[in-house]
Amino acid sequence: MRGVQLIYPLIPLVLITSVTEYASRKGVIPTFLLPAPSQVFLVLKDDFGSFRDAFLQTLFASSLGLGLSMVVGLGFALLLSFSNLVRKMFYPYAIFFQTVPIIAIAPLLVIWLGYGLPTVVASAFIVSVFPVIANSVLGLLGTDPLLLNLFKMLDASPLQTLFRLRVPAALPQILGGFKIAAGLAVIGAIVGEFISGSGLGGLVDTARNQQRVDRVFAAVLLAAFLGILFFSFISFLNSLVLGQLKEK
Amino acid sequence: MRSFSILLMSFCFLAQASAQDLALNWKPEPEFGGFYEAFLNHLYEQEGLKTQVLAGGAGQPVTQMVAAKKVKFGIAAADEVILARSQGAKVVAIFAVYQDDPQGFMVHPARGFKSLKDVFQSEGTVALQKGLPYTLWLEKHYAPLKAKWVPYTGGISSFIQDQKFSQQCFITSEPIAARREKLETQTFLISESGFNPYLAVVIAHEDTLKEEASMVSKFLKATREGWKRYLHDPSKTNAQMQKLNSSLDLATFEEAAKVQKPFIETRDTQKNGLGTMKKERWATLYQQLIELKLAKPGQDVTQFFK
Repeated sequence: MRGVQLIYPLIPLVLITSVTEYASRKGVIPTFLLPAPSQVFLVLKDDFGSFRDAFLQTLFASSLGLGLSMVVGLGFALLLSFSNLVRKMFYPYAIFFQTVPIIAIAPLLVIWLGYGLPTVVASAFIVSVFPVIANSVLGLLGTDPLLLNLFKMLDASPLQTLFRLRVPAALPQILGGFKIAAGLAVIGAIVGEFISGSGLGGLVDTARNQQRVDRVFAAVLLAAFLGILFFSFISFLNSLVLGQLKEK
Repeated sequence: MRSFSILLMSFCFLAQASAQDLALNWKPEPEFGGFYEAFLNHLYEQEGLKTQVLAGGAGQPVTQMVAAKKVKFGIAAADEVILARSQGAKVVAIFAVYQDDPQGFMVHPARGFKSLKDVFQSEGTVALQKGLPYTLWLEKHYAPLKAKWVPYTGGISSFIQDQKFSQQCFITSEPIAARREKLETQTFLISESGFNPYLAVVIAHEDTLKEEASMVSKFLKATREGWKRYLHDPSKTNAQMQKLNSSLDLATFEEAAKVQKPFIETRDTQKNGLGTMKKERWATLYQQLIELKLAKPGQDVTQFFK
């Protein structure tokens, strides 16, 4: 049954690919504006080594960025949910992460953190941490008041209430935040790579300089694949955690 | 279906620029002084043209915009023209502002380098934009490289901090900025390595040159006049441009205009007029790009420029 489900997303893919291929071959769309899908796959095949290395670099950097976002974002959200005062003091600053124009500060990251991995990871982190914080805070504060009263009646300590009630009840929202962060971490990493010159971002930058639209699309395709990979991983985590929770 | 195609056609019509605009690949700076002189002082208008000079930014795909007929004229480098034509884009160069490439590498004079070769074959860090034709050329030309290559991120802060740091530069930009910080610099031009494309080149679509020949010649006449006036006395246009790009102060405009002059006015332009281009130069560049595997062989060099 699951196999059949997989067919549905393939339908638009096949349709769009066929139309672009046809349009490109007939000269309706010039190849310097939109390359034929076959040309993109050919480029991927011919230069497989560089694309694979770049993909692995971006995978590594964005995984670190996402991991950092998940840990730091959740930790920050726990702090915020713990006290009204702390929340009032620090929550506005969390919004900074949502609005920071990463492309503008990426060159500064290079100056602060140096060329290479740290800059890319920081860029992925900055872009992806806000949804983790916002969703987690939302979940942690949205606990059923009846259950909260029950915990109060049972004389539970604030820490017990947090970890036995608030956190488990907030898991769907927390995981939802992770899902949004997953895609953003890839974007953040690629922007960081534009500046620091490695991975898929570096590949896109070079290809753009050489007017190789086919290579740009090949790299974009791999970036999208990376996003799907992360998304699937978080979805898997989601079903695992929430499944166990239901059993309990 | 019919109404859809009518809709599509009218959209395409709207999307195509009808005026004779010039799209720049950067902000108003002395490198475009002559164009602004012609635009702001109505030289294009006097020729009956509705030309506007449109400022651009980093990553603006000017070549593709001209190739897709979204704009009549654009600014590109000579190597970009050849790369675009290798990809099937029908763009042609019609006027070259810089007869010699004003790009180079800025180094700390204390290092005692004698040539560009020393920059790449000595210890230290060199910041440059990877993947560009000239970068690939230097990589090949000066191998084996001893310097560590890092991506160019703009600005000069790393240069100020690190005595062993060298970076790519426009002779009209970063060295002037460094002087502002009271820092002595030494610059080696990339052309020293034999790679010397025309820069700030006006491009147009092949069809425009065929179908609107008289408009193009009027545009070139006004452009040439604009540059002539700007080179004679850039002060008024500099002040006007500075209002459009306040990130640079007027003194920088003045200094850059002075520094760039010998790159624009050369023996060739004295003989054949401003903006002139030579077949041999295009042929050399084309060979170099073939050598770097960036261009396909078998193209007619005379198609690159007019």
